[in-house]
Amino acid sequence: MASVTITNVWKYYGKTVAVKDLNITCEDGEFVSVLGPSGCGKSSTLRMLAGLEHISAGDIYFGNTRVNDLEPKDRDIAMVFENYALYPHKTVYENMANPLRLRGESDDLIKKRIAFASEMLEIEHLLQRKPMELSGGQKQRTAIGRAIVREPKLFLFDEPIAHLDAKLRARMRGELKLMQRRLGTTMIYVTHDQLEAMSMADRIAVMHNGVLQQFGTPQDIYNHPVNEWVAGFVGEPPMNFIDCDLVDEGGRLHAVHSSFKVALTDAQTKILHGSLREKSVRMGIRPDQISIKAGTESGVDGRIKLTEPLGGDTLVNVDLKGADELLVKTNPDFNGGIDQACTLTFDTSRWHFFSKETGVAYF
Amino acid sequence: MTQDKTSAPDGVVRYVDGAKVLDYLPHAFNVKPSSRYYFWLMAPALIVLAAISIYPFFWLIWMSLHNVGSSAGETFAGLKNFEKLLTDDKFWNGWILLFQYSGFCMFFEIGIGVLLAVILNGNRFENVLVTIFLMPMMMAPAIAGLVWYYLFNSTFGWYHWLLQSLGILGETSIIGSTDTAMAGLIIVDIWQWTPLITLITLAGMKRVPRDQLEANMVDGASAFRNFVSITLPNIFPFLLIGIMLRFMDNFRFIDVILALTGGGPADSTNVLPVYLFDVSFRYFKLGRGAAIALTLLIVTIILGKLLVRVFEGPASKRTDMGS
Amino acid sequence: MASRDVVTYKTPLSRLRDVAIVIFLAFYLVWTIMPIFLMFVSSFKDLLAAFQLPPVGAFSKIGLFFDFTPTTKHYYNLFYNLGFSTYLLNSIAAAGGSALVSVVLGSMAAYSLSRVDFRGKADLFFWIISTRMAPVVAVLVPLYAIFRGFDLVGTRTGLILAYTTFNLPFAIWILKGFFDNVPFAIEEASMVDGSTRFQAFRAILPLVAPGIGAFLVLCVLFAWNDFLFASIIGSGGAKTLPPATRELVQPQNIQWGSIMAAGVVTTVPMMFLGLLIRRYLVTGLTMGAVRE
Repeated sequence: MASVTITNVWKYYGKTVAVKDLNITCEDGEFVSVLGPSGCGKSSTLRMLAGLEHISAGDIYFGNTRVNDLEPKDRDIAMVFENYALYPHKTVYENMANPLRLRGESDDLIKKRIAFASEMLEIEHLLQRKPMELSGGQKQRTAIGRAIVREPKLFLFDEPIAHLDAKLRARMRGELKLMQRRLGTTMIYVTHDQLEAMSMADRIAVMHNGVLQQFGTPQDIYNHPVNEWVAGFVGEPPMNFIDCDLVDEGGRLHAVHSSFKVALTDAQTKILHGSLREKSVRMGIRPDQISIKAGTESGVDGRIKLTEPLGGDTLVNVDLKGADELLVKTNPDFNGGIDQACTLTFDTSRWHFFSKETGVAYF
Repeated sequence: MTQDKTSAPDGVVRYVDGAKVLDYLPHAFNVKPSSRYYFWLMAPALIVLAAISIYPFFWLIWMSLHNVGSSAGETFAGLKNFEKLLTDDKFWNGWILLFQYSGFCMFFEIGIGVLLAVILNGNRFENVLVTIFLMPMMMAPAIAGLVWYYLFNSTFGWYHWLLQSLGILGETSIIGSTDTAMAGLIIVDIWQWTPLITLITLAGMKRVPRDQLEANMVDGASAFRNFVSITLPNIFPFLLIGIMLRFMDNFRFIDVILALTGGGPADSTNVLPVYLFDVSFRYFKLGRGAAIALTLLIVTIILGKLLVRVFEGPASKRTDMGS
Repeated sequence: MASRDVVTYKTPLSRLRDVAIVIFLAFYLVWTIMPIFLMFVSSFKDLLAAFQLPPVGAFSKIGLFFDFTPTTKHYYNLFYNLGFSTYLLNSIAAAGGSALVSVVLGSMAAYSLSRVDFRGKADLFFWIISTRMAPVVAVLVPLYAIFRGFDLVGTRTGLILAYTTFNLPFAIWILKGFFDNVPFAIEEASMVDGSTRFQAFRAILPLVAPGIGAFLVLCVLFAWNDFLFASIIGSGGAKTLPPATRELVQPQNIQWGSIMAAGVVTTVPMMFLGLLIRRYLVTGLTMGAVRE
């Protein structure tokens, strides 16, 4: 068990920079997820942690040991690869035994550890099969089993459930989280699926184009995204963004848009008065923080463009006056039809304002 | 509830795990499109091939059963040609030498070829070096034979001078002595064809799934263990194909031998195809030659069947079993 | 993203290994190039210089190899006195012609074999490839007899036909693999659009064009370098470069200068071709079993 400290780490491939000045500290036993779209540098980061890539600049420490020059086999880590990387000519048992055999462990120990891991992962009945005979989910569990038997200081998981079908993915999210809790091993989990990161991790490191955008708990990232990009990336359905002007009326700021004029709260006004440089900002509001009613009542007017009934919720696309459009999540009783008029109300305590120039969040 | 309008026999709708399952087959299967078009398209090629292979094959059989030669004319001889082969020393010697030649060449070419591939894989200069190394393969074997003849010549050959200066050889050229002539031939073959093994091995090494190598590294393997347990099994099918092809190519190409030794000195390099050449085109004993040719063909076909079985084997299958 | 190859870590042992590797590669490089280089240089030496050797063991005198005045008289001799321009033309005609015939007929057959299925297909296939594996020496006699009957001995046509013996099965075998990689769905789409089957075939040709081009070159390579067929069946009117070069080896007076020059003329074009099709060499030489 160890903590992981990544200090000012850069990664170059030739002239291309994949990771820029990364700083992350991960506590012992913590489940940290590195989240971001393809090409954001998360896989490079994981591979540097594993020793499968050289660190171009900066240092990585496991506990108090600097691991930059250590080979993978000397780092006491275990890794689960995106495509599982099982050895096709070995049985499941031998695949899991491989790391232990390479370290010269006794057959008894191997048997015990594999029994423990295979029971936890429910693959005891597959131990004599070869990878070719396994389903995707079974292969993935074998790969995880191979990582568990090592009892390493650190787990490195690279999008392990990306290639499973949706139902299995949903189930594995819960199982992996439970497993990590039970074993207590520090885990660094790379994914592009924000749902996975949000549901499993203790803390999430959000990366984009090689730069760490935000590092915090799932609640932090969801409720207090530090910039527009993070706000739009995390959360499904994604956040709505509308540009609006700020107008001072009687000491209180109002957000003004062609379809509405809404007053800000005192706290929000105070923040903006302190740091605002521009007259207009980008407003962000999540679909579940808008309420909608069919017909024309008091509130923001709009016209229904499209409804998507999902069973437990209904998504409604609403056209506002002007060119903007909002996505609203509401309960399934909503009965508005296409082209009907409707009214929206915003939960202003939960909306976010971002600078139009830099994208940084005010609140 | 929609009505199921099918031609189903009664009671064949079942439920398994809560889902509906149908067990019967339709009345008429899909009819395959006509294949006649394709047969016409391949006809010209097949006709040419038949003319060039089947026809001569029957000629060979005919010739082997007759006394075809410059003097005796063409009289029926039954199996006499084959009988004579049984007591023909040069015939049996020819087989032994052939397998020795092919075997030694194969052995050295693989050892050096694989070593070279391991060194070159991932090397900075891999592309340039491989391009240079494959130049010997581009040379006509007949020309290569002549150049090496020049190099091995005891009077003015630079390689002979080198071997002599190093004390390895005396005054006789390497191809002038019955003990070393075969070695000389093997050297030339190694020079020309080792790069092929290297190329094949490199192609195979690039197909080794990188994931498995890295997983083994994380599991705790050193570079050497990685090579032995992951890379070798993966390249083995490719190597096998290369081996067999080279082995059989040595049955076919006698250009170098004809240029360097002509089968001598004293039959020490008289591999079977060379003997066949002599019998047919120097002594014109065509009947006997045909008999020898038939035996050569039969062995070649047997080896060929083995080769094809290897072709269809793991080399053509995918080796990444992860996803 | 990942580094091009699996990363390695430097240890003291690995430094030693690197030095050993450089030495080995240097040796192998010299070993590979030397005969070709010697052939080149010797083709510019006149006879006296060509036979110069330092005394045995005198390594310091190796420079003697370069001690000569270069002359182009051997090349001149080749083309003006020995008629090598004809032989060169014969080589080009025979190799090119056979490659063309083989690829045209072969692609049609390969395509058909790729698309159709019937019992005995595997056996047919084996027969096709076995014709490529047969030792030339074995089939040479009957082929010679047959060709003589048709007055094809000593003609370019005869030689082209002879080369087709091994180029055609080779083309069928390899090109079938290429056609196998083109999904039939593309032709079906073309036929839905209104083309005939042959037009659909033509439509997918661009997809296999690079492969066909490469194998055209490979056919040329094999035919150009052939010796046995050319010397027996081509003798007389259609002699190509390899047997012509061999004939310069006369018992009384071996004209080494001209031989080396002829060797250069024969080898250089093939070296260029080798550069061109380097990517396909492995596939071609292993009959498609190993694809790079």
